[in-house]
Amino acid sequence: MGRLLFIRSIEGRILAGITMFVGMMILVGWVAINEEARMQAFVRQHNGRSIERGAELFASLCAECHGEEGYGADNRAPGLNNPHLFGFDPVGLQTAAITNANRALVRLNKDTDRLVVELTDAENPPSAERQNEIIAEVEALETQIEEQQAAIEAAVAERIEILGTLDKAVDNGLFPQWESIEDSDRTADNEVEVFFNTNGTRLSQVGWAGDLHGYVVTTLIHGRPGSARVYPSGTGMAAWSQTAGGPLRQDQIEDLAAYILNYDKGANWTTEDFLAVAQYGKPLADGSLPTEPPPPPAGDDVLGILARWDADEIVGSPVSGELLYDAEFGCTDCHRNGASAPDTVGTFTRISTERLTLPQFTGYSVEQYLVESITRPGDYVVDSYSSGLMPTNFGVRMTDQQLADIVSFLLTQE
Amino acid sequence: MTILPFPSFLDDVKEKGFKKAVFEGIDDSVERLTAGLNVQDLREAFRGESASRRPNPRLTPHADGFWLHMRPSYFNRDVTGMYPTFRLGWLSSYFVFFETITGILLMLWYTPSPEIAYGDMLTILSNVPLGQLMRDMHRLGAEFMVAVVALHMMRTWITGSYKKPRQFTWFSGLILLVITGFLSFSGYLLPWDQLSLWAVTIGASMAEATPVVGDQVNLLLRGAPELGANGLLRFYLLHVLALPALLFVFFGVHYYKVVIHGHSLPPKKENIGEDSAKRVPLDKRVYFIPDMLTYEMFWLGATTFIITVLCIWFYHAPLENHADPQVTPLGTTAPWYFLWIQGALKLGDKFFWGVAFPTIALGGLALLPYLDVTPSRRFAHRRFMLTIAMLLVSVSTVLSYMGLAKFAVQTSAETEIVHELTFEPAHSKVGIGRTIPFDQMIVGAYTTAQTHHQDDMSTNDMIARINAETAANGQFDQMIQELKNQHLGANQLPLRFRSVPADEAPKLMQVMQEFAHHLEDVPEELPNVWGALVITDNQGGLKRLDWVVSWDTVLIEGGNVQLDEAGEPSLVYATEQVAMTDSEGNPVLGDDGEAVMEEVPVLDEDGNPVPARRIYSDHLFIHQASAYFD
Repeated sequence: MGRLLFIRSIEGRILAGITMFVGMMILVGWVAINEEARMQAFVRQHNGRSIERGAELFASLCAECHGEEGYGADNRAPGLNNPHLFGFDPVGLQTAAITNANRALVRLNKDTDRLVVELTDAENPPSAERQNEIIAEVEALETQIEEQQAAIEAAVAERIEILGTLDKAVDNGLFPQWESIEDSDRTADNEVEVFFNTNGTRLSQVGWAGDLHGYVVTTLIHGRPGSARVYPSGTGMAAWSQTAGGPLRQDQIEDLAAYILNYDKGANWTTEDFLAVAQYGKPLADGSLPTEPPPPPAGDDVLGILARWDADEIVGSPVSGELLYDAEFGCTDCHRNGASAPDTVGTFTRISTERLTLPQFTGYSVEQYLVESITRPGDYVVDSYSSGLMPTNFGVRMTDQQLADIVSFLLTQE
Repeated sequence: MTILPFPSFLDDVKEKGFKKAVFEGIDDSVERLTAGLNVQDLREAFRGESASRRPNPRLTPHADGFWLHMRPSYFNRDVTGMYPTFRLGWLSSYFVFFETITGILLMLWYTPSPEIAYGDMLTILSNVPLGQLMRDMHRLGAEFMVAVVALHMMRTWITGSYKKPRQFTWFSGLILLVITGFLSFSGYLLPWDQLSLWAVTIGASMAEATPVVGDQVNLLLRGAPELGANGLLRFYLLHVLALPALLFVFFGVHYYKVVIHGHSLPPKKENIGEDSAKRVPLDKRVYFIPDMLTYEMFWLGATTFIITVLCIWFYHAPLENHADPQVTPLGTTAPWYFLWIQGALKLGDKFFWGVAFPTIALGGLALLPYLDVTPSRRFAHRRFMLTIAMLLVSVSTVLSYMGLAKFAVQTSAETEIVHELTFEPAHSKVGIGRTIPFDQMIVGAYTTAQTHHQDDMSTNDMIARINAETAANGQFDQMIQELKNQHLGANQLPLRFRSVPADEAPKLMQVMQEFAHHLEDVPEELPNVWGALVITDNQGGLKRLDWVVSWDTVLIEGGNVQLDEAGEPSLVYATEQVAMTDSEGNPVLGDDGEAVMEEVPVLDEDGNPVPARRIYSDHLFIHQASAYFD
């Protein structure tokens, strides 16, 4: 080692130094050449992990209303695992085919008329040779006209069939205004076409001019204040972003959007996929999804919570409280051994014999102390523990009942 | 004649001829640039010949030039070898400049704001060519720098180089050590990921324990009760402005003192009580030009090459999820060089171990040269101080070990085990549960009970028996209820366990075996345990993995399993509420006319009490493109 680091001759050192330097430059150059591929791989990987984090957020925050599998729920929220949202428009495809065929028909008829005029021109009659040519051309055009008419008939039949398979989805709220034209002749003029131009996809239906990502992100940030009108028994979608007063950071909003956009099946959507989704929160035809809105969160108004417990006769269950404490809210991750937070064991005893003797807790009941500690953990931190460690959002995450369950569990910890 | 007021190159050409004028012009320029060496001098120097001019032109750059005026013009041959310096001082200086350069490059892509900082990290990794390499180098250089500076201090202690007249050199070096620690620590926060937020939260909370001003210090440092926008900005300014400025000032002071007193010789090379570093005999002189200069150029190339190789193949700076003050990750630790304080904190009082103890330790180090005033630097005469040095090394090693999350901070066994299997990538490690290749995550519910294989039973029979048992005793339904609570879709809930398809999914099999081993390792905390892994499709390219642990509840107090007289863990038995009956079997009614309920133990068919069954679950999602398994 010493021999290697202390090369005796000056030229040896110069040579070794230059070799090392050139070697380093070659390595860096080699890395630089591969950077494009590495960065692309990183973007793919990051997008994958973003979807994973979004899935986590969706399961804990969104699944309650939008359904665990994104199919939406009765009278609560629309499905997101939804071909309509992703712009899959099978009726529109057929309508477009009909329109194209109609345009071709117009052109073919014009061509035919022109030839007929030429053929029947009395002042300037075509030569015999030209007459034969025209007759042949007209016959060819008539064949084409028949082909286009057959195409229209096929597309119309296809459209009727598709609309038939979508009946259940329409019942589920797919096209709210469909009834207004349902009875009109579906093959007639362009009424159906106009309808699907403005209703065929979710974005056209709500008149959104941007792309789907922007629509999803905007909805996540600001919520849907107006959705309470569509879902009479629901509460409307809350604003989720911190910029709009919600709980989520911008990167979490992006994670959620990445997850929601990952429902897209692209070319693989089928009309069957429409049937599983609650479109506008209407009850599903088989009524299989729950109808109860989620109970409101407890909040952090300690006395208000206690008053509601009395008024609504909410009684906590220590058994479910323990489950919530251990698993759902993970309290035991920290409240164990007293290393990073006070031990769960002995909570009641400590509160009743030590904490409540402190001057600032004069007049507190053990319940009040516990509710305050859970919903407003920053108000008082026991000496020898760090402040700011306990999340401050339990009040938003728990319902009155859950909070009461946990408090009644803690009351058993003597 | 020229029109210019001074002689020009053209005059030279007229006077001497073109060739001579050019050569002399070049020679002149080289001599100006090197502050004293002309082409001939350089040629001689790099050929290893002695200088032909007198006075020796190789000394002039040290006397006249700016860059070399701080460097000694010659060294004693006894200090140029590996021993006694191990090049640690040189390496420390190297890292100061290395970190400055890589740091400035990273500053181009960084904004110190909680909304942007993490996104900047992603940009550096996803959209800046060589960005990842630069970040890896800066981070690895920082870790090396802390280690090298600490080793440099140990070396100085061991060779007794802090002794008179170098007391203040030692003291300034100690200040540099502290600044290095804080520089590294303040840089820790900047990526604004979970790792940085929580490591710094823990570190900064130590300041809280300072008496009287603790809260104020903490507030000044964090800018708010919790680390946020102000805290990040403060740490950033500390990292790029205040601390580097201090570092460069004390770096100058320290090196000035080193040169003033000369590099201390190996202890046995000088007489006891004598400092002969500045008296270098002629035959021992190694001149900076050309010997040390070429050495340093070589080391510069070699060290940078090694770091480049390490950062390409062996080291990547960690980046965890976005910082989230609401989610405390399991097993948070301070950076490794502060682990000793974290370990000490587990010994007891926060003020004593978190503030007083480090202060006393640093104070003791600062005073070392003034306390140890014995004249001899020979190892044989310094047994006491060398013992103290070794004690210091041992104590900080033990304390650092105690600082690790696995020491004395026990989360419940089931949480630990599932975390061990599923933790997200951190420090180049990842939970094995995430490394199952995507096509081996075959949808189904699998149980570790399958691995309790018995010779006389086929796997399928085994699974059938497990399914029958868990259905009969309600444990399967308990799992289903737990999965529902965790928002697993109603259509996704498994109907029964199936056997692990070991042929198609060997990695899945391996993970299940690992899961089983972990569960069997803690029979006291988790009696009669089984684990389950439920794999479901969530979206295209996205699977959900639910990890479930089910076991008989045991009494745990203060983190310890309570044992009964037989030495077996004390079980908690299930109870149920039933209507109380009197001796004739009629329900007892209360004052309100309602049946009075009583709590009675649940008994099995044989009349034995049934242990209360506990269940725990956690889930994660794996996307096809996440590449945890690459």
